[in-house]
Amino acid sequence: MSGTLTILKKELKGFYFNPTFWVICFLISVIFSWVFPIQLNLFSQLLTNYVMQQGVPSNQLNIHYGVFLRQLSYLNLLLIFVVPALTMKLFAEEKKLRTFDLLLTSPVTSLDIVLGKYFAAWGAVFGLVFVAFLYPLSTSLLATLNWTPLLIAFAGIFLVGGVYAAMDLFASSLTENTIAAYIISIMFNLSIWFIGIGAEVVDSEAGRKIFEHMSLSTHLSALVEGTIRTNGLVFFFSVIVLFCFLAERVVESSRWR
Amino acid sequence: MIQVSDLTKDYGPRRAIDKLSFSVNKGDVVGFLGPNGAGKSTTMKIITGFMAPSHGTASVAGFDVFENPIEVKKRIGYLPETPPVYADMYVREYLRYVAALKQVPKDKIEKYVDHAIEKTNLGEVQKRLIHHLSKGFKQRVGIAQAIVSDPEVLILDEPTVGLDPKQVAEIRDLIKALKGQHTIILSTHILPEVEATCEKVIIINKGRIVAEDSIHSLATMEKGHQRLHVRLRKDVSDLKSVLAGVSAVTSVTLGASQKEWSIDLAGGEDVVESISSLIVTQGFGLLELTPAKRDLEDVFLKLTYGQESKGGAV
Ligand SMILES: Nc1ncnc2c1ncn2[C@@H]1O[C@H](COP(=O)(O)OP(=O)(O)OP(=O)(O)O)[C@@H](O)[C@H]1O
Ligand SMILES: [Mg+2]
Repeated sequence: MSGTLTILKKELKGFYFNPTFWVICFLISVIFSWVFPIQLNLFSQLLTNYVMQQGVPSNQLNIHYGVFLRQLSYLNLLLIFVVPALTMKLFAEEKKLRTFDLLLTSPVTSLDIVLGKYFAAWGAVFGLVFVAFLYPLSTSLLATLNWTPLLIAFAGIFLVGGVYAAMDLFASSLTENTIAAYIISIMFNLSIWFIGIGAEVVDSEAGRKIFEHMSLSTHLSALVEGTIRTNGLVFFFSVIVLFCFLAERVVESSRWR
Repeated sequence: MIQVSDLTKDYGPRRAIDKLSFSVNKGDVVGFLGPNGAGKSTTMKIITGFMAPSHGTASVAGFDVFENPIEVKKRIGYLPETPPVYADMYVREYLRYVAALKQVPKDKIEKYVDHAIEKTNLGEVQKRLIHHLSKGFKQRVGIAQAIVSDPEVLILDEPTVGLDPKQVAEIRDLIKALKGQHTIILSTHILPEVEATCEKVIIINKGRIVAEDSIHSLATMEKGHQRLHVRLRKDVSDLKSVLAGVSAVTSVTLGASQKEWSIDLAGGEDVVESISSLIVTQGFGLLELTPAKRDLEDVFLKLTYGQESKGGAV
């Protein structure tokens, strides 16, 4: 376990002391600084319109739906492309630069290595989600917010970021080439969304249920709406555990080649 | 300390090492010698637990490398062919990280890092980014990370590659200083390195051990044969006929000019004495007469390439 902590600390430092990470944070904040006020503005117009006409769906009048959920879907889109950029180096680069030799000949297990790197990646995702969270936070200066659903929604996106991190970490363990790792990661991240589409295409009731359960969007939207469902959490954590396990297998197998 | 038996490694259809067996006692310094592609690095990777062999076993300090890898790895410092350094870390920060990975107790880390930095002369670069270091300095950081946890066993794959002569000498001194308490295996192509640091050599070729002995007995394998280099003041057109009277002389070959010759002989010091007195009495102006240290080189080339060298530097 101490091996996990050592690696976690080193990798976290590697993320947070790396200018690239701050460039990414900066870009994310640029995007939100541009989009978020527009959303707020639209929302306030909607409110004004509502006073005059009645035809607007009522959930659109909630700032949670009207502004924050939009922001979360943008954040999700960003994470799909940004998380692979963070994780791609974790294994691929180490293998290529042969620094992996050090880890494999140190008294740490493959699981220590994977967990240390995984939690570091998730820690980096936390930074990104936190940057995004600053926007709703600043809104609270202007309006009273309902904190619980907001926090649950952000926890949801943080979990999704954790799922991406697990899949992308696995992708990184598959190759020595960081670009290849990046591309495979994006495929993984996108495909888990496409599973949700399957739910709409499949005819049989059972098939639909299965797809729905495997779909990230079903579980995320529940969280985003502010409701915590156990099967949703179980789903997120099982995907994370599965991909960490797969990455551990790949690391372990590299000793046998 | 290190026991290797029947170690075999296949890379796909390619057999890199074939049934290697040897053992290294505690405190020994063993040189691993062999031409390119002989399987030196492969053997070292297996002993360090970096990868598993196809057959056979290896154990370090009584722990099997595959059944108890963590215990083995705690006791080993390993310098791979490419120093495993992170370009985006500072030298000191990196060494601290390695020490923590190697489970050095927290309160001792600084002391161990200081020690490793001092031993490898990294003091002036310890606050620099590894990315900005020259190749030789990276190699030194690589050596520093191998010794930072003060391991019982050191496995060094070509430790002095890319270092300047002064550093090479210092690393050799370091290795000599470490012997006794530490068990060291180092691989190299450089024979003087083995002669300078190791008591025992294992020569491998094409994945097999072709010789395993102490330096001394290997070097004297062809006992009584030696080569002399002589440098004269005057040009001598035919030294061979001059020395024809000494029966122990087997061959006389011309060096860079007619002032330099090498003499092969079968015999002891008395033969050397009679040769020198002969040259002196002829009045050629003997400036230098040195026994050439060609023994190990010859043994090496003969064993690995099956040919006898004509002397000269490697
Ligand atoms: N990853 C690999 N895949 C396939 N073959 C390999 C691999 N690594 C080494 N080999 C082969 O195994 C043999 C032994 O290689 P090894 O690196 O152990 O040699 P070496 O003695 O260290 O040589 P050098 O002096 O050049 O470092 C070589 O023939 C090499 O081609
Ligand atoms: Mg080698």
